[in-house]
Amino acid sequence: MRRFLNAENKKGAGSRVSGVGSDKALAYLLLGPTVFVLFALSIYPLIHAVSLSLQITSGGITRWSLQNFVRLVSDQFFLAALGHTLVFAVVALTLEFLLGLALAVLLNKQIRGRSFFRAGLLVPMMLPTVVVGIIWRLMLNPNFGAVNGTLKGFGLNTAAFTWTSSPRLAMFSIIAVDVWQWTPFMFLILLAGLQAIPQEPYEAALIDGSNAWQTFRHVTLPLLKPAILVALLLRTMDLLRVFDQVFILTEGGPGFATETLSLYIYRTAFRFSDFGYAAAMSFVLLLITNIISAFYIRILQAKESG
Amino acid sequence: MGRLTMRKFLKYLLLLSVLIATLTPVYWMLTISLKREVDQFAVPPRWFSFSPTLEHYSDAFLNRSFGQYLLTSMIVAVCSTFCALVIGTIAAYALARLKMPARLNRKLSLWILSTRMFPPIVTAVPLFLMMRDLQLLNTRLSLIILYTGFNLPFVVWMMRGFFVEVPRELEEAAMVDGDTRLGALRRVLLPLVAPGLAATAVFCLIISWNEFLFALVLTQTDAAMTLPVGIAGRVTQYEIKWGVMSAAGVVAMLPILVFAMAVQRYLVRGLSLGAVKG
Repeated sequence: MRRFLNAENKKGAGSRVSGVGSDKALAYLLLGPTVFVLFALSIYPLIHAVSLSLQITSGGITRWSLQNFVRLVSDQFFLAALGHTLVFAVVALTLEFLLGLALAVLLNKQIRGRSFFRAGLLVPMMLPTVVVGIIWRLMLNPNFGAVNGTLKGFGLNTAAFTWTSSPRLAMFSIIAVDVWQWTPFMFLILLAGLQAIPQEPYEAALIDGSNAWQTFRHVTLPLLKPAILVALLLRTMDLLRVFDQVFILTEGGPGFATETLSLYIYRTAFRFSDFGYAAAMSFVLLLITNIISAFYIRILQAKESG
Repeated sequence: MGRLTMRKFLKYLLLLSVLIATLTPVYWMLTISLKREVDQFAVPPRWFSFSPTLEHYSDAFLNRSFGQYLLTSMIVAVCSTFCALVIGTIAAYALARLKMPARLNRKLSLWILSTRMFPPIVTAVPLFLMMRDLQLLNTRLSLIILYTGFNLPFVVWMMRGFFVEVPRELEEAAMVDGDTRLGALRRVLLPLVAPGLAATAVFCLIISWNEFLFALVLTQTDAAMTLPVGIAGRVTQYEIKWGVMSAAGVVAMLPILVFAMAVQRYLVRGLSLGAVKG
């Protein structure tokens, strides 16, 4: 954990070997290509996006304007997409965290076949999201999908379960698919965190006569906090930008029911060629992502220095 | 004692049901890729009893363009991984070992990391316009360039961590013996971090192989499309050939699973960019 934020302390200390004078020049030479590539592929595009978002083209004339940002406030589709994204992120994050934590605690003890379970549970997370999309289109297909087929086998009437094509169930479906795919990620990070906790606090708690729940609440959770925050941070950022699975499963539909911000931005830019407005919306997404990650990192740093 | 065994039994039962819920959907796709159409649409679903056929695989990869998508995916993944490894490893070495102002080192490291944190859709629009201006739309080269950029921060952070873990003294001994800095890097340091380098390479291959948004935006022709885009294009059509889709899906999935199992030991580290040590 400490490596994440404090790793720099150990470095830059210099070398005791002679011939260090040319080190600095060599350092810049070796860092040059990386800095160049990242500048060309992320800083320059970002600046370009800012200028795109501040320009309006009408009648062949391009002029500077804040109109793209003004339009955001009154665009009901944008506001709906924002709402969908937040609902999706909050619900999926909560479910993935709780399930992942439960699984990690369950597998933390030395039990037979642990590495087998661990390897099996990791499969969904590694799959290309496009493949996840196909898998769940097959599973959730109302006519021949395995889910409805199995429910029918139990004698249920599945006519109402149209999953991804029903306005009411579509959001539920894409959340369920995300939970299926990404709970393993939470589980993996939290399991690693659990295994890094030393034995002594548990022995102390045992001597104090704490019961299992008290030990979990007052020993495990506080010591697991850094791993929890990293897992939540990384997941939150991925959830807010969700695109692939939704694109394959519902294309934002039916109607607009599952349109997320990334999808709406994609459509605005690449179907309607309104690059300026798409750029403006993407900055809202960037802003939200930054605020939330700054919030997590602040808690993380407070924890580390305290 | 009886209570304890009961608890253990319940625990295994629970774990087993989670495992089944996790793997069943993947298995279902596998069966669809091997079933004739009559069996695909059977109700109740046929989990085990069907006569397998490979016709969908030959249909997808010989009759349709999936073979070409597969080739593109491989070329793009391998080339971008190679470029990112070369460029990123030397930068990581500089950050881990060479003398420079500590503040600059820290700033640079965090800046490199931060470029990975943007939601990709933010840069998708300007990068699309850039590739259009460079006349690189619908080329494999455009994806190789972009994926090199995506993987770069990852390589720098992973490799920096691996370099830092090797004691300085080993290289210094080689340098006292007359090796140059880069000579010591090549002959002493790189062999020591070889497992980490291999794991990093595998992660890059997985990331490039799985990437979807940029491939979708930048490639629309059969000649330049990657496997995920090819699959997605067919899924969203009206009449879907489920067997063909599933066969393509299985082929897109298999190399990743093999790779992922190979780097299990480094998985936590890779997924958290070194923030949590597995």
